[in-house]
Amino acid sequence: MGVQLSVFLENKPGKLETITKILSDAGINIRGISMASEGEFGVLKVLVNDPGKAHEVLKKQHFTVSERNVVVAIVDDRPGALHDLLLTLCSEDINIEDCYGIVLEEGGNAAIVLDIEAYPQAEKVLAGRGTRLLSDSELYSL
Amino acid sequence: MYWEKDVETMDRSALAVLQLRRLNETLKQAGRSAFYGKRFAAGADTPAQAGAAAGMPAQAGGKPAVASVELSDLEQLRELPFTKKDDLRNAFPYGFLTVDLEKVIRLHSSSGTTGNPTVVFHTPDDIDHWGNLIARCMYTTGVRKQDVFQNMMGYGLFTGGLGFHYGAEKLGVMTIPIGPGNSRRQIWFLKHLKTTVIHILPSYALRLYSFFEEMELDPREDLHLRIAFIGAEPHSEEIRKKIEELYGIKVYNSYGLSEMCGPGVAFECECQEGLHIWEDHFYPEIIDPASGRVLPDGERGELVLTTLTREAMPLIRYRTRDLTRFLPGECPCGRTHRRIDRITGRSDDMLIINGVNIFPIQIEKTLMAIPEIGHNYLIEIHKENFMDKLSVKVEISEEVFHGTLAELEKLQSKAAAALRAELGVTPNVKLVEPSSLPVSEGKARRVYDYRGGEEGGL
Repeated sequence: MGVQLSVFLENKPGKLETITKILSDAGINIRGISMASEGEFGVLKVLVNDPGKAHEVLKKQHFTVSERNVVVAIVDDRPGALHDLLLTLCSEDINIEDCYGIVLEEGGNAAIVLDIEAYPQAEKVLAGRGTRLLSDSELYSL
Repeated sequence: MYWEKDVETMDRSALAVLQLRRLNETLKQAGRSAFYGKRFAAGADTPAQAGAAAGMPAQAGGKPAVASVELSDLEQLRELPFTKKDDLRNAFPYGFLTVDLEKVIRLHSSSGTTGNPTVVFHTPDDIDHWGNLIARCMYTTGVRKQDVFQNMMGYGLFTGGLGFHYGAEKLGVMTIPIGPGNSRRQIWFLKHLKTTVIHILPSYALRLYSFFEEMELDPREDLHLRIAFIGAEPHSEEIRKKIEELYGIKVYNSYGLSEMCGPGVAFECECQEGLHIWEDHFYPEIIDPASGRVLPDGERGELVLTTLTREAMPLIRYRTRDLTRFLPGECPCGRTHRRIDRITGRSDDMLIINGVNIFPIQIEKTLMAIPEIGHNYLIEIHKENFMDKLSVKVEISEEVFHGTLAELEKLQSKAAAALRAELGVTPNVKLVEPSSLPVSEGKARRVYDYRGGEEGGL
C-alpha cells in the first residue's frame, strides 16, 4: 500500500504546469501521474517519492489536496496478465475508483496503481493469488 | 380606444381630488394592519407635523386597529415614512393584512425561501380592480373581444400569468393559459389557434424566433399575430424594435410589481412613448434613492408607489427600487395619467434572470448551507441565445475534499439543485480552486453582469 495525492484543478491552460513547478522546486520526484477531467474541472492523481512533503508544499500554494491510499501491483509481462488481475478483484466485488499504469524501469516490469476504497481487502485478495504488491518504501524509492 | 374614458382622460385637478380621497381611505384601511397600525399609533415614526396637521387621533392603549392618518393635501404624503421590502419580510406573513382571512381569496409571492418571502394578499375587490386595470391596458393597445390571447407568462405565485389571465377574461378575450416554455407547442398553438395577442418575456420572444427558423416558419407570414405585451424584465428600445420587426407586430411595454398587484401598474398606449402609470389606482413619486428626497418632475430616480384602491394590503410609499423618471408633456393619446420612462435599472442589487427576480443574498445563503463549499463565490450573468445565463463559481472547501472526481460531480449537482430550489432558475455551477476568486477587499464584488446595455441589473 502507498499514498498518492489527489489535487483538485480547474481545467485551464497552465494549471498542470503550476503543480509540476511546485513539486520540482521542492525537489520532489514524480513516479506516476494521471488526470481525470469532467470538463471544467478535474482531479490530478500524482504518485511521488515523498507524499507528505508534496502535500505540504501544494497546500501552501492553496491547492486542494487529498491523500489517497493506493495499491500498486506488479503486472506480469504477458498477454492477459492485467485482465487476470482485474478479474480477481471483480470476482470479489471490489470496485476500482480509478487506475493507471506505470513502468518500473526501462524495458522492465509494469505496475498498475489502483485507487480502491476497499484497499485492505484488495491487498488481501491480490496477495492471496500471488500478485506482488509494492510496499510503500519500495514505491517511494522507485 | 378607451376602456374607461372618464377615468383615463380625467382632468388633472379632478384626478387629484380623486387621489386625495382614495389616499385617505387607503391610510385609514392601512391603519387596520398590524404594521401601519403600530406605525401610525407610534406617531414618532410619522413626522409630527403631518400627523398633527392632519388631526391624527391620539391612540391610548395602542390598539392599532383604528390608528390612522388623514391628509388635507397630496403633498403631505411626502412626510410619511417609506415602506420597504424588508418591512414586508419582517411582517411575514400577516403583518400587512388589513382584513380577516375570510375576505382574502388569493396570495401571490416572490420566489425564494431564504428569509421570508414577500407575500401579497387579495380580496375579491382587489382581484377585480387588478383585472380591470389589465383589461384597460389591453384595450388601450387595441385588443378586442374577437382576439385570441396566448398567455406565455408563468402561472402560479408569479403575478405575470394570472394577472393577465384575469384581465383578458374581463375584457372578454379567449385566453389560452399555456404558460412559458415548450417552444414547439407554443408555435403550434400560435399557428393553429390563429393567436393574435401574446404576453411574453422579451428575452423569450427572441429565443422563440429561432424555433420558427428551425421549423421553417415565418411568423410574419404564417401567423395571425398582431400584438405582444412584454414585461417582467428590463429591456431596451432596440429589443422592442427587434421583436416588432421579427414578428411583424406591435409590441407594448408592461410594468408592474407583485407588491402593488402585479402587471397593470403602468402600460404603454398606442403612442409607445413611455408607460402611463394608472394614477387612479397608484400614487407615484420619484425620489433620490440615497436621500429619500422627492425629485422634481423629469429627474431620474427611484419610483415610489402608494396604492389607492388596494383593500387587503394597502402600501404607503413603497420603494420599488426601480429607476425611472416622469416623462414631460401630455401624451397625444389624450390620457391624462402621467407617463414614466422604461425602467433603466435598480437601486438595489436585485437581478432579473429571464424575468425571475433574484437577490444575490439568496445565492450566498444557499451556498453557505452546503458544507463542502468554501466561503468565496462569484455570480456571473451572460446572454446566450438571447436568454440570460446564470453562472455561479464556487470555491470548494479543502477540509472535505477526498480526492475523487465523482464527489466533485456530486457536489456540483447538489449545489445546482439547491440553487434551483431556492431561485427558481437553474444556474451553471462551476467549481473553482480555493483562493482563485478575487479576495474581498472591504465589500466584495460578487456579481458580474455581462449582459450589457440597459439590460444589466448592475
